[in-house]
Amino acid sequence: MAALVPPPPPTTAADTTQKPKEDEKVDYFNLPCPIPYEEIHREALMSLKPELFEGMRFDFTKGLNQRFSLSHSVFMGPMEVPSQSPETIKIPTAHYEFGANFIDPKLMLFGRIMTDGRLNARVKCDLSENLTLKANSQLTNEPHMSHGMVNFDYKGKDYRSQFQLGNGALFGANYIQSVTPHLSLGGEVFWAGQHRKSGIGYAARYNTDKMVATGQVASTGMVALSYVQKVSEKVSLASDFMYNYMSRDVTASFGYDYILRQCRLRGKIDSNGTVAAFLEERLNMGLNFVLSAEIDHRKKDYKFGFGLTVGE
Amino acid sequence: MAAQARKGGISLPERRNPKKDDEGVIAKFSQSQVVVRGKQAANDAAFVTKKLMKSTGKAAWIAGTTFLILVVPLIIAMDREQQLNELELQQANILGTSAPPPK
Repeated sequence: MAALVPPPPPTTAADTTQKPKEDEKVDYFNLPCPIPYEEIHREALMSLKPELFEGMRFDFTKGLNQRFSLSHSVFMGPMEVPSQSPETIKIPTAHYEFGANFIDPKLMLFGRIMTDGRLNARVKCDLSENLTLKANSQLTNEPHMSHGMVNFDYKGKDYRSQFQLGNGALFGANYIQSVTPHLSLGGEVFWAGQHRKSGIGYAARYNTDKMVATGQVASTGMVALSYVQKVSEKVSLASDFMYNYMSRDVTASFGYDYILRQCRLRGKIDSNGTVAAFLEERLNMGLNFVLSAEIDHRKKDYKFGFGLTVGE
Repeated sequence: MAAQARKGGISLPERRNPKKDDEGVIAKFSQSQVVVRGKQAANDAAFVTKKLMKSTGKAAWIAGTTFLILVVPLIIAMDREQQLNELELQQANILGTSAPPPK
């Protein structure tokens, strides 16, 4: 996949990485802080996994004051129902979601409630300079579908660690450490008491101004590799490869992410025969128009959607 | 044939062989090796062409729709970006040239 990417043209600095330029001699006591373990695929996911949808959506966010805002969103369209048969079954649905956000530098609270009875709450709170508490919970009216999760993140000078607690006796911990200014390595362990499962995983990430390469393996049989090349400030090309040893699923995908003055366009093609594009067009200040298209040639499943985002 | 008849089954009277001698020229020709083979070849060719056409059509459809989804929006977006850039350049030119020398 990497061979598909053309060599980078000499462009001015792409300043998405946060590290200062260091001299040739590497100061190993002054390494930059890595990005969190769960976000190591961030760049690849940004280009390869846009929020594709089918139908119509309308999102409206209204800020009441500096810190408090309310959001309303309406979605109408077919919803896929999971089934055993190879062809997908879709039923038309419509729902409304009401949300309230409180954003403060030290404390963030998000709440969402949907008309079908789902409630989602998120908290992010900086307990001290380095310690952050994140909580996420989802309540539904169906039994056994409610989740809760609490994360404690500790950010060190050149490392980050996280401890996770979830319902169903889920415990997890991960740690990521910068090894050189560009390379960071990490590992994780988890234990799910309810399902009597445990596992470990390792991850590596190499990033420079022009490219990001990541690799992750876990004892669940998952192997994920990704590569993102920033061709210029506006364009980045991404590819990823997923392999699951247990289910023998292999997926490779290739995508582009083009940020223009008035729009952002993301396109993706993958080895399952799926082609997708996602266009976000800025019509006016605070008014965005979204178009989403996804074609699955193999399943003959075609999804098209449009939406409007107002506010923010 | 004889063995079959002896087994007890009803066998058709062997009319073919004696008739073979007094067949017409056209029948003879149509039953000749060359023509039979030719026919078969033509049939095969037609079948393969049909299949080929079908798969080519399918491939063209997939390629076309993929192009429509992936590339056409990109072209439109880039084209508009260029137009915007040109417009801006023009405006800058007009402003830049008109401002210093007041004619």
